[in-house]
Amino acid sequence: MFARINWRHFDWLLLFVVLVLCGFSVAMIYSATHNSPDLADYWQRQVNFVGIGLVALFLVALLDYRQLSLLAVPSFIVFILLLVAVYFFGDTQGSGSQSWINIAGTLVQPTEAGKFLIIIFLSWYLSWFRDSMHKLPYLIMALVLLFTPLILVYIQPDFGMTITYAFLGGALIMVAGVRYRHLFILAAAALAIVPLLASTLQGYMLARICIFLPTDEVTGQINAPILGFLRTTFSSLPSECVQPGANTAASYNVDQALIAVGNGGLTGMGWAQGTQNQLHFLRVRHTDFIFSVISEELGLIGAALILLLLLFVVWRVLGIADRAPDQFGKLLATGVAALVFFQVVINVGMNLKVMPVTGLTLPFISYGGSSLVSMLFAIGLAESVAMRHRKIEFF
Amino acid sequence: MFEERTGRDTANLAMLLFRLGIVITFVVMVARMFQLQVVQNAQYESLANQNRLLRIETPAARGIVYDRNGTILVRNRPSFEVALVPEDLPFDDLETTIIDEEAQEIEKVLRILRADTDTDVALRMAEILFNKLGYEDYIRTVQKAGAELTFLDDPAFVTPVTDDGRLTMAEPRKVFFPDIEQPLPLAGLVALVQRAVAIQSQGSASDPVAILDGIDRIRAFEVSEDSFRIPAVRVNQVPIREYIYGDLLSHVLGFMGPIPAFAADEYEQTGYNNPNEKVGLNGLEFTYQDELRGEPGVRFSERDIVGVDVRTVGDVVEPVPGLNLFLNIDLRLQRIMYDALKEKMDELEAPWGVTVALNPQNGAVLGMVSLPSYDNNIFAERIGEDYLELEQDERRPLINYAIGGLYPPGSTFKMVTAAAGLAEDVITPETVVVDAGPIFLPNRYFPNDPTQAQKFVSWNHKNGVVHGRLNVESALALSNDIYFYYLGGGYLEDFQGLGQRLLSKWMNLFGFGETTGVDLPGEVTSLVPTDQWKRQLFAEPWTTGDSYNMAIGQGYVLATPMQVLVETMAVANGGTIYEPRVVHHMTDANGGVQKDFAPVLRRELPIDPDEMAVVRQGMWDVVNADYGTGRAARVPGVEIAGKTGTAEFCEYIPEKQDCRRDDKDNLPTHAWFSAFGPYDDPEIAIVTFIYDGGEGSAAAVPVTQKILQAYFTEIAPRPQQEQTAQQQ
Repeated sequence: MFARINWRHFDWLLLFVVLVLCGFSVAMIYSATHNSPDLADYWQRQVNFVGIGLVALFLVALLDYRQLSLLAVPSFIVFILLLVAVYFFGDTQGSGSQSWINIAGTLVQPTEAGKFLIIIFLSWYLSWFRDSMHKLPYLIMALVLLFTPLILVYIQPDFGMTITYAFLGGALIMVAGVRYRHLFILAAAALAIVPLLASTLQGYMLARICIFLPTDEVTGQINAPILGFLRTTFSSLPSECVQPGANTAASYNVDQALIAVGNGGLTGMGWAQGTQNQLHFLRVRHTDFIFSVISEELGLIGAALILLLLLFVVWRVLGIADRAPDQFGKLLATGVAALVFFQVVINVGMNLKVMPVTGLTLPFISYGGSSLVSMLFAIGLAESVAMRHRKIEFF
Repeated sequence: MFEERTGRDTANLAMLLFRLGIVITFVVMVARMFQLQVVQNAQYESLANQNRLLRIETPAARGIVYDRNGTILVRNRPSFEVALVPEDLPFDDLETTIIDEEAQEIEKVLRILRADTDTDVALRMAEILFNKLGYEDYIRTVQKAGAELTFLDDPAFVTPVTDDGRLTMAEPRKVFFPDIEQPLPLAGLVALVQRAVAIQSQGSASDPVAILDGIDRIRAFEVSEDSFRIPAVRVNQVPIREYIYGDLLSHVLGFMGPIPAFAADEYEQTGYNNPNEKVGLNGLEFTYQDELRGEPGVRFSERDIVGVDVRTVGDVVEPVPGLNLFLNIDLRLQRIMYDALKEKMDELEAPWGVTVALNPQNGAVLGMVSLPSYDNNIFAERIGEDYLELEQDERRPLINYAIGGLYPPGSTFKMVTAAAGLAEDVITPETVVVDAGPIFLPNRYFPNDPTQAQKFVSWNHKNGVVHGRLNVESALALSNDIYFYYLGGGYLEDFQGLGQRLLSKWMNLFGFGETTGVDLPGEVTSLVPTDQWKRQLFAEPWTTGDSYNMAIGQGYVLATPMQVLVETMAVANGGTIYEPRVVHHMTDANGGVQKDFAPVLRRELPIDPDEMAVVRQGMWDVVNADYGTGRAARVPGVEIAGKTGTAEFCEYIPEKQDCRRDDKDNLPTHAWFSAFGPYDDPEIAIVTFIYDGGEGSAAAVPVTQKILQAYFTEIAPRPQQEQTAQQQ
């Protein structure tokens, strides 16, 4: 049952591209933080995180991913219990959502690891009941299992994580295979609960979405038809949903990011030369808005290259999914690809002001230990699947 | 395993769509980046530059003002101010809760400045911070610091200012001022400085906050030495405009102040980027603001998000000093004029007085005094209290009455009537009018009722004198009113006068309906009265009596002393009207002449030289004939010509519902005298006006005589010995 570890099947090119991205990460974090006394050593820390992450990557790659199926159910139950505990005893840190819990004196944010737990658990469920998935109850059960953590995260409220979970779950279920008939039934049901969802949408979430809606050139108000729809759907509208430009504080970070991107031009202002970055007009530039730093300093050419490398990683992991020896491995790899892809789209989209602000980091690039280590962990998972792929080998 | 699948579910399609999504994402994102970074690059680059680049102007040295002999009238005196740079002050370390590091450092600075021992320093600092923080913030900050604050008992009226400290046009507001005469305890001052620093930090932490100014050079060095360990302290040199002769020339030179709010846009459009820049607000400082200012130097400073000056970007443009003004005014004559007028006004206790002199050959203003005057250095040094006193002076000393006051010119106007009569052939030099006492104009509606007739007297009738047969020359010399009544309005069937139309025409020709064009701000003019004007204003037709009054410079005729001087100039030079000009030429910093002012000719009067000669002869008689009214104006060795004026005016007293009158029921009079000399080739024309000064001959003539006497002996002495020797 257990395949031998085969380093010939380890995807060295994938690892190489990931390391190149980590190298860019360290360089851009240095550029973004070197003249802020409090943050000046962040690039060194990021180097350490890369080291830790690589160790995690290889450990996970060595581990046979199929063993994870044993952990799937208990870890998912622990995860749900933690989310419930957060709901009752949680702490609020910085961002404003109650998403931290104090375990033995350490603050833990279960949602970050939850991304993997959801990937592992749903992959396990969808592969375990693979032959029954064409029956509607099994599909609904999958959705229930997905929505349990999703709702708990939504009421924290953590908008970014909620949509991440939703995307991961959706991608896994679709890739596992849903009958078209069922898909239409679910789509119809989803449409029916939109008003219910809308009524629970937090004001700040709505505000973040609203600053992206098209506005009238003259009045600065959101276009009349859309505004009318918003007025009928929501009982009260935040001011951003009427006149997005009026609240400059709300759109400050995004606007400055956009200026940084536009300021970069085709070839960029040069590494550690971007004025928006170096003079600190760009906020949270080493994490959420690091893509703006890249765009300003390396220009369209550099930013497009980074984007290309990131999407190459996604593409490559999808290839691993194709060659996976079993459904569980395929779904695991697909989940990893979906996670990386979704974060890239949301974060780059936010930097280019085509997506709302969510606080999702740019995989491999944004500063942050947990972000980087978990992303390298994810690549490790994919490599674990890759090394056990089902091609017949000739020795 | 896989072969069991039917293909009727989403598995394969989902993988396909995922890959498609990756490609689409790349294409869309790169397209968006292309739009932002290539298509809209210039727009975002300018936004980024707006974020980071701050245009900093270095003011140019303002031009210096000299009199016609090169005596410095205005210069820039170096003065020093002490300022704190917010970013160089220590932060309040929150771990040591009891000690406020920032406050400690500020207190150290204040002790070096001697704010704890020297009351003058403490008061000045309180005043600066009061002006910076404003009334409410000042009181709140001091009281929060627990320092004692006393208030003035009487409320004061303050003109509201905008947020950036500029005067507005709004009505003054009544407030109780804190008593800034009482020095604040050190704790209060420290709190105020801390507050001012905090406010500045919100803007740019690199820009210093001035906390004390007006320090002399020696003290500035001391402060620099004592505070060399305190990085936040800056000792800056700030030039102060120094008006060396203060009151003597304040109306001519004017003063400077911050750009007023109501004109802020105009200034900004003409290149005044710093809203706190001081500009000329009055006098020559106003008229020649752009020339005096020069070109400020410019550099672009790169600022980070908290406003710290990172570096200078691009080229630095050095300032170009302003042009220097050389005036036509002679400081010596100005002083003589000032002293002579002031002496007489003190004697008469007259509230206002003016004396102005110019060269009738080209309009060059030789001296200009308007009393009461004020010390324009008050504005340079921002001494609040003196300014308040000045603003509340009912005599409004800030107004230059030589060009800003309108008064009936009285008999000094008669040259206009005389010239008009001769030029329009209403009279000849030989035309005779007999003064046999008051004349009566029959009432329009009751022509046959003598008791309803309007009585017109000449000034001499009050003394029981009639002048008998008069021609235009002797009428001018005696300032006889009957002659000018006849000339102005005619008399019944006996005499055809000028009438309103011709009087108005000549009044306009002599420049009474327009400003004289002198290069000073604040000049006013009244309209030339006409039939139409009177109908519109009073709904009444023009009467012969109106012409009578107009002919002798009373009634509806109003003029500034400068307009009377222009009239005098035209008679003196034979009929040419020049625009009066205070500035002679301007030089740049290297002494090169930048602009030389040629005399500006306004018009030649359409009058025959022989006829003008008759008017001039009349003015000669005023001074030199035995019967002239201005005999007291004679200057030994120089022939002077002139014209006295005693103009009645109405000072309305609401309680009496009438004008103020003396016990003999006479109206009060302004004293006028206009003169020029030497008669043959005039080089100075002068007008003296004393408000409520009584008789022109008694009040205005002696002042003028003193000035002319001094002019012809001290300033432009005649070679009289030689002349008299030759004649003998």
